[in-house]
Parts: sequence; structure tokens; C-alpha cells
Amino acid sequence: MTNRWRRHWRRGTFLPYLLLAPAVVLLAGMIYPFGLGVYYSLTSYWLQYPNRFRFVWFDNYVDLLEEPLFVRALEFTLGFTVVAVVLQVGLGLAVALFLHARIPGRAAIRALMLMPLMIPPVITALMWKIMMASTNAGILNYALSFLGIGPINWFGSTQGAIVSVLVIDTWGNLPFVALILLGGLQALPTEPYEAARVDGAGPIAMLRYVTLPLLSPFIVLAVTFRAMDSLRIFDVIYATTTGGPNDATTNLQIMAYQYSFQWYQMGKGMAQAIVLLLLVVMVSYLLMRLWNRASESVQ
Amino acid sequence: MKTPGTTYQMTVRHVVIALASALLLVWTVFPFVWILLTSLKSPTDILSVPPTFTFTPTIDNYAALVVGEQRGQYSSTRPDFPRFFLNSIIVSIGAVALSVAAGIPAAYALARFKFPGRDTLAFVLLSFRFVPFIAFVIPLYILYQRFGLYNTHAGLILAYQLITLPFTVWMLRSFFMEIPLEIQEAAKIDGCSWLGVLGRVILPLSAPGIAVTVILGFMFCWNAFNYPLMLAGRQTFPVTVGAIQFISYEQVLWGQMAAATIVAAVPQLLLSLMVQKYIVRGLTMGAVK
Repeated sequence: MTNRWRRHWRRGTFLPYLLLAPAVVLLAGMIYPFGLGVYYSLTSYWLQYPNRFRFVWFDNYVDLLEEPLFVRALEFTLGFTVVAVVLQVGLGLAVALFLHARIPGRAAIRALMLMPLMIPPVITALMWKIMMASTNAGILNYALSFLGIGPINWFGSTQGAIVSVLVIDTWGNLPFVALILLGGLQALPTEPYEAARVDGAGPIAMLRYVTLPLLSPFIVLAVTFRAMDSLRIFDVIYATTTGGPNDATTNLQIMAYQYSFQWYQMGKGMAQAIVLLLLVVMVSYLLMRLWNRASESVQ
Repeated sequence: MKTPGTTYQMTVRHVVIALASALLLVWTVFPFVWILLTSLKSPTDILSVPPTFTFTPTIDNYAALVVGEQRGQYSSTRPDFPRFFLNSIIVSIGAVALSVAAGIPAAYALARFKFPGRDTLAFVLLSFRFVPFIAFVIPLYILYQRFGLYNTHAGLILAYQLITLPFTVWMLRSFFMEIPLEIQEAAKIDGCSWLGVLGRVILPLSAPGIAVTVILGFMFCWNAFNYPLMLAGRQTFPVTVGAIQFISYEQVLWGQMAAATIVAAVPQLLLSLMVQKYIVRGLTMGAVK
């Protein structure tokens, strides 16, 4: 027996596990609280009333179905994700194609586009909060007044708040999509283009039948990252509207935050967090299948 | 020879390109310019209607950040920005150091060894990139309150591992895998153990990649907002949470907030210059090179 273990040791069978140990310990330290959280989601844990703590099975989850705010938050989460992804990937594709066309000053524009990308999202939100002041002192309303628009009550009205969050999130993440797709465009093979040119394809036909199919793995990748982040958007909403007005910009993450850190109903908040997690898992599974199909079709 | 028609088309093309470039530049850069201007304005200039581009610049807002007080006002509730800045530095460096120390051997194992469970483990690590933070922060908050980690640097460094550890392992693994296997085999033939391979081959050859990983990891920690919002207190807030302290129920200190956003953004802008080429790779955990 001891010989066998010694042989394993000499061959280095355990070595990779040994190397992984520190990271796995840290990882376990993260997964343990999560497991505890799953348990809390089945209890009536209310921080301010510890003696009401009971195991309630799936009551918190069933309650969600009867909670009107949950339905609206779910709708906003999904709706926001769809609109943000379409908007950002569409505009990002346009910017990437534009920059790919060897326009003068491309390197400079590309470098400047990294600026919104790397500053903290909450700082982005605060910058726009200053620019979106709803009085006439706000620079954005002032600029729009020249186009005959406004003044818009950015964060105070339902539609204004939703548009504000969309604009701010797009400003911060458009460069991400544009840079992924620009990288993809620069990596495309040239032969299909030459073949299409010989066939007499115009620029629109080239884009439709050559560029977009070849680029599709990168597009799916950009959609995946943006969809995952949009489902979980928190910083921008928290710093600007905090979910308001009238819960118009409350998504599942903001709702779970309010339940657990404003009303201290940890059990309910955790149940909402897990619903969001399941939603993220589901969407990521669908997008991963799409990615497999897109990358297979290219090869 | 160009025909008049094509010359006309060329001109239109140039104008369209110039307009689109200008639009893209204004959209990207103007917010920074405006916030920088706002941070140099006095309260009256900030509230002027219409917004003004010509004003006497003042450093009052930055002075208020450093000193923490503006002419004796709001002294009881003033955000302690120098401390927030220091907190950001301490926690970000601590979190990255811990992640790199645990991440180097883990990335080496995932890049260079075949063993059961390898791909599953790598996938579990990757999936942390997409986890909603609230599912982790609620139990962490309860545990931290109980074990005295709430409102401590150590607690934040541990929580930040959710951000930096998966990132570090995946990035380092992608850099390690770029090193040709032949070099490693040659070192083994020369009598190097696994430790020798790691220390004499992998680490020196991937030093630039490790530097990129460290810088990007630091930047992601600097950007973190939601974990410290729940797990830190006034003594341990980083700049991201500190910057929203300028919004209170009574009023928003616009000028100081603008100055705070500039101060919070500048280290990021400087660091991103160093890792320009790797930012997309970092944001996609090595998926896009």
C-alpha cells in the first residue's frame, strides 16, 4: 500500500492537485457562502427579527410569483438586456466596420475608445449624472435644445430613467463590442473577399454574404458577454436612479439588493438572487450552443 | 485621370468620414472634457444657465477632496477621500497579490498537466465571470458580520477573489499555453523538475503576460463597486463607493463629485495605456486575443 502511494508520488500523479490546492481552497471559500445562501433562501431569515427564523421550504420562491414588483423587475431585466444588446452590438458593428475601413486617425480613435471602457462603471454613471442634470444647467439638455428637443427630465420620469440607463451603459460598453468585432474583422481571411469581387459583389452584398457570416463567432461572443453583463447590471442603476422612479428601472439585482440590504429580508433577497442566477445560467447555456454552431459553420 | 463624377463622390466620402469620425470622438471624449471642466468650476458656475465654457477655473473642489472640508461646511458628513483612495490601493494590491500567488501554480497545472477533472475545474472558474454578485454578497455579509470581517481590508481582499482569482488563472493559463512545449521538454531532459520548469522556463518566458495580468487584475479591483458597497464601511470604502458619498439627501456636491470622478478615473486611464493591446483579451478572460 505504502509502495503504491510512493509510486504515485514519484510519478507526479498528485502534483497537479497539489498545485491547484491554494486556488481551490480560495474557491471553496467562495462557494461555501453561496451554499449557505441557498439554504437561507429556504428560510424566513430577517436580520432584524432573528427569532422569526424558520425553515419555510420554497415559500420565498412561491411568494415571488404573487409579488407584482418581481414580475416587473423580471420584465425590465429581460427587456433591458434585449434592447441593450441589440443597440450595443448593432452600433458596435457599425463602429468596427468604420474603423476597419482604414480611415485616417484610426489608431488614435481606437486608443481613445479604451477610456470609457476601463474607468469604473459607477464613475461613468456619475459623470453622466452630472451631464444629465434635468435643469437647464445640464449640458446634455442644453445641447439637445439646439435640436429642438427637451428639456428632458432624465432621471425623474419613467421613460427618461430607462433611456438614461441605456445611454450610460452603452457609452461604457460600446467600445468593448467595437474592439472585439474590430479584432475579428482584422483576423478575417482575404480569399473569400477576392472570390466575391471576382463574382462582382457590391459592398452591401460583401457585408451580407461574406463579412457577417465569417464574423458570426465574434458577434456571438460579443452578444454573450454583453447579455451576461446586462442581465446583472447594478452599478449604473444604483448610482443614478436606484431603481426608480416608481421602480421603473428596478431589475432583479436591484430588487434583491433592496430586499436584503434595505429591508434586511435576507431569505427573500437570496431567493431572488438565485432566480437571477438561474436566469443567467439558462441564457448562457443558450448562447454557448449558439456559439458552438457559429464557430462550426465558419470552419 | 479622374472623372468629375468620381471626384465629387470622393469629396462626399471624405465629408462623411470626417463627420462620422468627429461624432465618434465627441461621443467618446466630450464627457471627460465636460467633467474635467465641471471639476474646475465654482458652485455658481456649475449651476449657470446656459452651461458655460468660459469661467475662472478654481482648484477648490480638488482642495476640498484632499482636505475634506469646504469652508467649514459639511464637516461632520464629509467623505474622507484620501482614505478612500488609500483603501482602493491597499485592497486592490492585496487582492491581486493573493490571486497571483494562488493563481500561478493553478494556471501551471491547468496549462501543462493532464488529470481528471481539469476541464470541469477550468469551466467552474470561468463561470464566476458571469455570476450575479448579489447571490454571493448576501451570505458574505452575514458571515462577515459574524466573524469580524465586515468593514475590514482583509474581508474585501477575500471577497475580491471572486473577481480576480478566476481572471488571473484564466489569463495566466492562456499565457502559459503560448510557450512552446519543446522548450519545456528540453529543460526536463536537462534535468529540471516541475519546479525547475516553472521557475526557469514558464515564469521568465511569460513575465510580460504576468505583468499584464497583474495590471488588469488591479484595474478590475479598482473598478469594483458592489462588493465594497455592502461589505465595507466608512473606514474601508474604496474610491468607487466614496465617489457616491457626494450625493446626500440634502444636496449633491456636483463640483466635488466631478473632481472625485476624475481622481478615481486617472489611475485607470494611465494603467490602461500600459496594457492597451491586452484589454480586450483581459475583458474576455483570454477568449479573444
